[in-house]
Amino acid sequence: MLAIEGLTRRFGGLEALSGVDYAVAGEGVFGLIGPNGSGKTTLFNVVTGLYRPSAGRVRFLGEDISRLGPHRIIAKGIARTFQTPRVYARMTVRENLAAARHTLAGAERRAGGEARIAALLEATGLADRRDELAKSLPLPEQRRLELARALVRNPRLLLLDEPAGGMTPAETQAMARLIEEVAAPGRACIVIEHKMDMIARLCAQVCVLNFGAKIAEGAPDAVLNDPVVLEAYIGRDGGGA
Amino acid sequence: MDEYTIQVLSNIGMFSFIALSAYLLLMTGEISFGQQAFFAISAYASGIATAMWGWPLWAGILWGALVAAAAAFVLAWPTLRLRGLYFAIGTLAFAEMVRLVFEIFRYQVEIDGELVGPDGSDGFRGVRYAFENDISNLDYMLLIYGVLAAVLIFFFLMGRSRLGKIFRMLGEDELLAEMQGVNRTFYKVLATVLAGFIAGIGGALYVHLNTYVEPKVFNVMLGVHSLAYGLIGGLGTSLGPLLGVAIDIGLLESIRIFTGYRMIVFGGLVAVLLIVRPRGLLDEEVVYWLKYRMWRRLAGSARRRPEATPGEARDAGD
Amino acid sequence: MIDFIQNTVDGIMIGSRYSLLAIGFTLIFGVMRRLNLSYGPSIMLGVFVGTFLFVQYRAGWFAIAAATVLGAVLAGIYVERLCFWAIRQGAALASMVSSFAIWMQLEELTTLVFPDRTYPFPRLTGARPFELAGINIQSTYLIMFGCAVAIMGALSFMLYRTRFGLALRAVSENPLAARFMGVATGRITFLAFVLASAIGGFAGYLIAANEQQVTPLFGLWATFKGMIAMMLGGMGSVPGAILGGFLLGVVESQATWYLGTEIRDIAAYGLLFVFLVARPGGLLGQRRAERERLALRRV
Repeated sequence: MLAIEGLTRRFGGLEALSGVDYAVAGEGVFGLIGPNGSGKTTLFNVVTGLYRPSAGRVRFLGEDISRLGPHRIIAKGIARTFQTPRVYARMTVRENLAAARHTLAGAERRAGGEARIAALLEATGLADRRDELAKSLPLPEQRRLELARALVRNPRLLLLDEPAGGMTPAETQAMARLIEEVAAPGRACIVIEHKMDMIARLCAQVCVLNFGAKIAEGAPDAVLNDPVVLEAYIGRDGGGA
Repeated sequence: MDEYTIQVLSNIGMFSFIALSAYLLLMTGEISFGQQAFFAISAYASGIATAMWGWPLWAGILWGALVAAAAAFVLAWPTLRLRGLYFAIGTLAFAEMVRLVFEIFRYQVEIDGELVGPDGSDGFRGVRYAFENDISNLDYMLLIYGVLAAVLIFFFLMGRSRLGKIFRMLGEDELLAEMQGVNRTFYKVLATVLAGFIAGIGGALYVHLNTYVEPKVFNVMLGVHSLAYGLIGGLGTSLGPLLGVAIDIGLLESIRIFTGYRMIVFGGLVAVLLIVRPRGLLDEEVVYWLKYRMWRRLAGSARRRPEATPGEARDAGD
Repeated sequence: MIDFIQNTVDGIMIGSRYSLLAIGFTLIFGVMRRLNLSYGPSIMLGVFVGTFLFVQYRAGWFAIAAATVLGAVLAGIYVERLCFWAIRQGAALASMVSSFAIWMQLEELTTLVFPDRTYPFPRLTGARPFELAGINIQSTYLIMFGCAVAIMGALSFMLYRTRFGLALRAVSENPLAARFMGVATGRITFLAFVLASAIGGFAGYLIAANEQQVTPLFGLWATFKGMIAMMLGGMGSVPGAILGGFLLGVVESQATWYLGTEIRDIAAYGLLFVFLVARPGGLLGQRRAERERLALRRV
């Protein structure tokens, strides 16, 4: 469903992504890991159209989206969350979810919006926070809000950037369960995380980046024990969460 | 109603337009110090239309606002990539250029043996449509408020509509909005043009009331004031800017003892206010509290409707 | 051709006024990421204190210069406490509008205490303009140019060779991180403000001495010229402020010569606008990522 070919992105003299080839099938949860600064978030940024590739291509459902602006790419069925949760602070939780639907075409928008929002709030455990201002939510709930919001438009591809960042082990478990439920048939999830137990539990396939290049890919067991990967993390600055 | 009150109320009404214009852009997250440019362009365009081309008032005002909107459209593109403070200074530079151009702009025709028209820094005199057609000051004031009411209704409707929600999304977090499918280019240009149009209405009304306008009126003071009104009155509702204008012009103007000290008092009050309420008196939280919590408290005992939430009813947030 | 060169030289000389004004502006911006719209008026207040001493007591140039600087600094502290320190972090717009409100306050205060349209100010030097390789050079402008360069040198030394300078740069880069490393950001910001006001006050003294008069329009003028020069050179860059001032001066003098005084100010704003659209980072171009970080700061 998502095919990245030779993706390179430069910022001045720095090459944040170097010729990355990466493909993701239409279903399941996939991990994207690597030490800090290895280009994971940059990858998400390029896929969602925030940055243009300096070289290489991004294909989604067969279509080349490399040169499209973010709003067009989102419309094709991709959604994402952010490393530090971004929510509309001065709107309520409900309004935050409703906001994601404003750019849908008429008929789609009118079809059962409130019901879907209510269902998502239930599913992410935010139902009783419905009318609270988003900025009053604690971090784990803001992350769940981001997840709910990403799901409002029923995306085919979900990009989650450190969804369990800053959470306690219990909260991380809960988030992992949520992601499992959310990766329904017909939907693919790419998860950036530093918490390896979560990655191991959730993902069928894991891709590892280091200094903008892919250094390993495969099943979690294999990848997490790969000496190249270990060196990338430990050799750097002690890696890990 | 005495003449003085009519004059004060008229001024409040007219400056509300430019305050609303700056407010609209603030809703989309942009600081503009330059809305006075559109106020000016429309003042001149509409004055030319009625005083020199013989058009009726309503056509002149519409023409002025449309010309201002067109100018806004032109400005929108180069400033599209500018963000935050750069946009603010860009609009400021533009507005000053417009003012300076008007200082040297001359276009005069002879009417009834007299030269009429903009005359550089001497300004544009003789915009006497209202005078010649026996429109009293009271009538004119009603006209101002009539049009203002229409604009407020527009804001109210927009607030409930998708357009308003999208504007607020852009204002809250532009990046996030883009990541949710908002076409930034389209909506930013639209906001700039609408804001220009609204400021233009104010300018056209201004020139016809005063029958005269000169370029130095459209200075940066006016521009920053327009923005400040929204910030003082509150950014949570379109009534906020009106409140700001009313406070500045109405309250302080009327308190005679402050003559000569008006800015010292007002400036100090504004500074203190902004410390306590950096988004104005009627900011989003106050509006949220008023609409939701008060409503709930008032309606709570009378009816209990767990399904239909105040949230939907409250979607009116303009 | 000789005209062009003369204009350029004049422009650089005249531009040093703008450079001096821009330095303070950019220092404040660099540290606080907010525009201080009261900058010009605070300087003006200082200058009027200076003129008061001159008119009332016929004080010597040193006392007047000191009084000007002191006045500007006091006004600057007032503005800093009320408009910047007191307003919480995420509300940059509130700070700017507040500084605008205080601008109006300071202007009205000045016109109340000094109601005349113009006041005399002692001149800098009685020396006459001289010629160098066929180009006329005014000695007062030369002094201003010299001061601008000297101040830039002193500032560079301070910024890169002292602990205070290091702290200042740290706060400019990333205030949160600086605080975590034990830098007293509040105090540094305050001191930066004082420094900027002092430089501004000194600039005001030189400008007024050159003009030999002061008017209440000084505040607005100083804010604008300083701001334009700052933007041209790149917000937050001290050498940029110097270059920006020179550039502004040169463009103005060329525009005045070839197109007339009416076009002069249009040219200045036009230049600013062009820079904003084409090269927002200014002459000493800020990196794009830095700019975006600056601009995407929430209002």
